[in-house]
Amino acid sequence: MSQIEINNLCKTFRVPEREGGFWAAVRSVFRRRFRDVRAVDDVSFQVDEGEIVGFLGPNGAGKTTTLKMLSGLLHPTAGEAKVLGHVPWRREAAYLRRISMLMGQRSQLHWDLPAIDSFLVHSAVYDIPADDYKKTLDELVQLLDLGDVLKKQVRSLSLGERMKCEICVSLLHRPAVLFLDEPTIGVDITMQTRIRQFIRNYNRKHGATIILTSHYMADVTALCKRLIVIDHGHILFDGSLEALSEKLAPFKVIKIDLDRELDGYDLATLGEVLSVEQRKIALRVPKADAAAVTSRLLTDLPILDLTIEDPPIEDVISRVFGQPKSEPKQPANASSAVSGGAAR
Amino acid sequence: MSRVVRVFLAYLRAKIGVMLQYRGEILLWSIWGIINPAVLYAMWSAAASGNENQSIAGLDRGGFAAYYFVMMIVGHLTGAWDVYHLGYLIRSGQLSPMLLRPVLPIWETLADNLSYKITTLMFVVPMWALFAWLVTPRFETSLWQVGMGFIAVLLGAGLNYMLCHTAALLAFWATKLDAMGEIYFGLCMFLGGRFAPMNALPGPILAIAEYLPFRWMFAFPTELLIGKIASMNEALIGVVIQSVWLVGVVILYRLMWSVAVKRYTAVSG
Repeated sequence: MSQIEINNLCKTFRVPEREGGFWAAVRSVFRRRFRDVRAVDDVSFQVDEGEIVGFLGPNGAGKTTTLKMLSGLLHPTAGEAKVLGHVPWRREAAYLRRISMLMGQRSQLHWDLPAIDSFLVHSAVYDIPADDYKKTLDELVQLLDLGDVLKKQVRSLSLGERMKCEICVSLLHRPAVLFLDEPTIGVDITMQTRIRQFIRNYNRKHGATIILTSHYMADVTALCKRLIVIDHGHILFDGSLEALSEKLAPFKVIKIDLDRELDGYDLATLGEVLSVEQRKIALRVPKADAAAVTSRLLTDLPILDLTIEDPPIEDVISRVFGQPKSEPKQPANASSAVSGGAAR
Repeated sequence: MSRVVRVFLAYLRAKIGVMLQYRGEILLWSIWGIINPAVLYAMWSAAASGNENQSIAGLDRGGFAAYYFVMMIVGHLTGAWDVYHLGYLIRSGQLSPMLLRPVLPIWETLADNLSYKITTLMFVVPMWALFAWLVTPRFETSLWQVGMGFIAVLLGAGLNYMLCHTAALLAFWATKLDAMGEIYFGLCMFLGGRFAPMNALPGPILAIAEYLPFRWMFAFPTELLIGKIASMNEALIGVVIQSVWLVGVVILYRLMWSVAVKRYTAVSG
């Protein structure tokens, strides 16, 4: 059953703009110029109950604007949306009580107070019964390891500690729908892993529907079976991670470890050479050719080890946006032909 | 207890907690709140003493002492600054977390306002007492005027808060409201009887002030509390005018809020 339904959602911002420099500033006093920026353009999708959807796109693609409309912060220019049966931008209390939006760059906590005080205010605002509040808080404190943090003034917390508190306060009222905008931004890898694990557990335990934006692909691969890719306000892709890879990056990466260095063997005839680091080589080959290339490599070269992998999600996404992220790496003085040793 | 009251009290407790983190800051704000009426008292009492009949606008030295002593208290209790505070929250996008909650942001900003008034009491009450001891105000107040004055202060505080908060909603259109804030405070000073008692204003300006809300926020409660409004009838009319203004501004707020929030752009994340 769909918990989130969006049809032809659009959001246009009218932004002032001018040329740079002093005289342009003076001219702008008399003649103000505006430009319409279509941040979200005809976006439609549905999300079922309990799904975790990764919402991906480069900066300015329209991800956060879409989430802000779904959480009721922004009114759309056109289109319709229903979340949990409510029109989000009507901002009915019954709706706001059932959702949560975690914005990595925007705090919900009282900066000058210990986090526990913000939690108490939250329990009153969301009308959480005292027993439920205690039970949920105890659980969240344990899962997020917040014991030592609760009594510290929020302004003195580290970024990771604060993010844990932000997650805790977002979940105290047990929202059925969660909008997570960069939930792991700025935190170290260990904390990222813990936050991911926690989000996954919350989804499993409470059947919450989650839309997640993140620039860390590890967040997406760890949590989301389904991806929606957006760029310039348009949806470019909506489907599984595998389908995205299949559709937009129909190739495999073959990594080989050689017994000895090669001399004159032209690897470029087999595929695109991604990297050559001493005797470790990575090749990108079309999926259809992967078996034949593997066979040829095993026949022609002194292979110690060989693996066939799907391309990294970063590469796939980069291809979607037409901005290759990992260019083929070449040694400073090498072409695609490997030199140094004798080919078998 | 209704849910809104519970939420408001929770906000109030938290905001008082925030204020108590900064004792030095609240001491300085308390001094700031005293300086203005104290200076104006010194100026007007000196002017009255130099006058032939030792008074201006029906107030002599003791009358001015009472007027500015009470205005000090009324100004503290009815003060509002949302035109700056809420304006900043809207402009910077910090309104977003407040908008995500299932209660109107006004309850949080109102708690913020009240927390200042409560926490600064520990400093301003001794300062008020010191001021009264130094200037020996002369009161002509009877008990019913104190009772009506109390009601007038409450209504004046509500009116100023709602008007200031509603004016702050213009930030959804104009983005930056600092200059408008200065104009608002200028009007409060000049047409609210804070700079000078209403009777000292030139006739045409006094006539305009009658039709604006500012005198009902400050001058009217002050005049009641020093006994200058002698008839119960006049006091009741004043309270009714305050109430009408308050209801009108609350309606204006609801209308403006429903339109304004659609314009929110939630900048910066």
